Amino acid sequence: MASDMQSAIEIRGLTKRFLSTLALDRVDLTIGQAEIHALVGENGAGKSTLIKILAGLFQADAGEIFIDGRRVNPYAEAVPISFVHQDLGLVDELSIGENVALVAGFPRSGGLISWKKVWEQAERIYKSMAIDPPDPRLPVGSLGAAGKAILGIVRALSREARIVVLDEPTASLPGPDALHLFEVLRRLRESGTSILYVSHRLNELFGLVDRVTVFRDGRLVRSSDIEGLTPESIVRDMLGRDLELHQAQAAEVRAGVPLLSVEDLCAGNQGPLSFSLARGEVLGLVGLRGAGHEVIGRTIFGAHPQSGGTIRLGAETIAPGMSIGARIAKGIALLAGDRIGESALSGMSVRENLFPNTQSVAGGLLTPIRTGREQQQVADVLDRFDVRPRNGAALIDWLSGGNQQKIFVGRWLATGAQLLIMEEPTAGVDIGAKRTIHRMLREIAANGAAVLVVSTDFEEVVTLCDRALVIGRGSVMADLAGHALTMESLLTRSSMTSERPLPIQ
Amino acid sequence: MSNIPNQDTSFARGEGASPPKLRMSAQTLSNLVAVYGLLFVFLLIMLVFGLLRPSSFFSPTNINTILVSQSVTAILALGLMLPLATKQFDLSIGYHLGMAQVLIVGLQVNQGLGWPEAAALILVASVLTGLVNGLLVTFFRIDSFIATMGSGTLLYGVTNWYSNGEQISGMDLPESFTNLTQIFHGLPLPAVYVAIIAGVLWLVTERLPVGRNLYVIGANVRAAELTGISVRRHVMGAFIASGLLSGFAGIVLGSILQTGTPSVGPEYLLPAFAASLLGATSIKPGRVNVLGTLLSVLVLAFSFSGVQQLGAPFYIQYFFNGGILVVAVGLSVYAAQRRQRAATGAKPRAA
Repeated sequence: MASDMQSAIEIRGLTKRFLSTLALDRVDLTIGQAEIHALVGENGAGKSTLIKILAGLFQADAGEIFIDGRRVNPYAEAVPISFVHQDLGLVDELSIGENVALVAGFPRSGGLISWKKVWEQAERIYKSMAIDPPDPRLPVGSLGAAGKAILGIVRALSREARIVVLDEPTASLPGPDALHLFEVLRRLRESGTSILYVSHRLNELFGLVDRVTVFRDGRLVRSSDIEGLTPESIVRDMLGRDLELHQAQAAEVRAGVPLLSVEDLCAGNQGPLSFSLARGEVLGLVGLRGAGHEVIGRTIFGAHPQSGGTIRLGAETIAPGMSIGARIAKGIALLAGDRIGESALSGMSVRENLFPNTQSVAGGLLTPIRTGREQQQVADVLDRFDVRPRNGAALIDWLSGGNQQKIFVGRWLATGAQLLIMEEPTAGVDIGAKRTIHRMLREIAANGAAVLVVSTDFEEVVTLCDRALVIGRGSVMADLAGHALTMESLLTRSSMTSERPLPIQ
Repeated sequence: MSNIPNQDTSFARGEGASPPKLRMSAQTLSNLVAVYGLLFVFLLIMLVFGLLRPSSFFSPTNINTILVSQSVTAILALGLMLPLATKQFDLSIGYHLGMAQVLIVGLQVNQGLGWPEAAALILVASVLTGLVNGLLVTFFRIDSFIATMGSGTLLYGVTNWYSNGEQISGMDLPESFTNLTQIFHGLPLPAVYVAIIAGVLWLVTERLPVGRNLYVIGANVRAAELTGISVRRHVMGAFIASGLLSGFAGIVLGSILQTGTPSVGPEYLLPAFAASLLGATSIKPGRVNVLGTLLSVLVLAFSFSGVQQLGAPFYIQYFFNGGILVVAVGLSVYAAQRRQRAATGAKPRAA
């Protein structure tokens, strides 16, 4: 559409190396004026490195960047590009006008903040982008998900920037809200703004973006008009090999009763969905970041309200109101995805982090803790999982993320859990710890427990799981096992989630 | 003694971590300072003032006076420790103490109750007060700072309503009541109460699951919930215990003062906080603990007594208490960073 005009951003030979990895390899990329340009690729393909160079967070090793024909170095100077990250960075308690003013500045009169001008400024900025302004005096919390995303973009563009980078803006947006956002993006394009749009949801690119650039292993492998492309051809470019279209098939039913069976489960914006999990099985629950599939695991654990359906553990039905403590006693465990926020007991020792609730191990609130036995068990876990430093008295804060995570997985071994729900079990841990944690989980399953891995990391699911359910828009899009469980199939199934499940070919 | 210091020394030996030898000794030293710092300070104070004023400082009268007068602060500080372990404030303890102290005298003098009946009534009221504090914090989700400031002020209102703001003279209090805080065979009874309470609380916080649960809640509420700990019940229990001990401290204070004075009470609040928080710098660095709290009470009391005997004016007390608190907490933060650096060989991560 706009590719024949003068370019907004022109990148030539951009290269960035981290130690032995070439994160960006001689990338040439042109982004036109008033165009929406999609940037796609797997995690680690180079998209975020490129964006971080544009944002001035990294310095490129080689290459040139031109903005409106002028050569710039974002690492050393401010460039007229705005960035909107997925979390938006809004302050919910403040008003819309104040949130705009946090970026655009507080207009003053006589040295004092003029609230009238603050409200006017917000309305003016919205209108300049041809968007109906909400009441700027309302708190941001009163906006819906789409309203917040739009505010994030409006605010970013208030600094006269004509180029905006959107990092997965729809990751957590429900379908209709995403459509509203797309409408705003089209209007921004009409008013001359260039938009660099990073997304994992391939099917939403069609009808929205003008051009698509695909990264793979630090290289730009395609940069072309979207016309003539299909989601399948984009996946092929992302993976660099021919897409094998797998017949999605249900995993063969294992002998014996399933340990966990979930029927028509509804919770949050998920469901209704049904699946079952046998002892000895490691099942992946996969979705894109923001798909909300972690709610399913949390509901089974009792940490999220259940709005419908039934959960059965063995022959027993788990009542929707059952407390977390009661579920733990029945053998359910949850490794929370937010390691620092939901697992770590900062300032406490490794031993205490391994046994935070001794009731769940043995005895009541007033049964004395048998320190000697605890220490023995700690030493055991530290040896088995190669935790460093090998010392139960060290504070948890002193351990690396990977070693902390081993402790938090180990926490559930002591409770005799039969069903382990693991959220992103290896997010942010080094490769050695990752291997150990995978080994821990396989061992647990081999000993007769069932493991549910809730993940957005496809590679992990392929290496770790026997079977995987792809979750999109709250329902099971595919049930993949055996040869059908590959990076390609996971990527295809999850990135083409639309309002309706795609027909399985 | 606490198992943690033992473990810390085993850590200092560098099991598994095997840091270089030189660093090991530095680490041992910084561990010792971090764990026993307050004890060193206490011994130093005893030594210095013992040498400067040998006859008066160590006289039984001086020691007993300090033990009796500090017992009230110690009981309050020990009770306060429990909500503090869960990272909740209980600001009502000072007013609560005042109310109990007025009522224990008043109920005997005005209503003609025997002291055991009066004490029982007060303890029941104290449990109820703690329960209300707990409910305000857990069910109504009012920030504990605000909730207990409000409930404490209400208690102050009750005290003044009951006494009409006037001192209640306890001239005719029975001896069986005033004897509760006498010196018995050379042992000041209030110190015995403190020792018993401290013993029970030590067991609870160091050896029972319920105590560990309190610390877990304080370290990370969300993690506590996700390991199946009933946060509400524990926080509620902590406030009830703190209320009960505030009431008990008031009864002890009533027996010591032998009058019911409505204005007495609030001035005990800050010393109790100071002792609990200062205690968190030692023995088990980083968390409120029983032995640290007791040591803090002793350090603050004996250092002030010593300075006073050297002829310092009364207001030096405040410089002392404030100064020690700030310096000790500052040093313990520094020591924690040093220990982490020694343990990981890396710069401490930003909190």
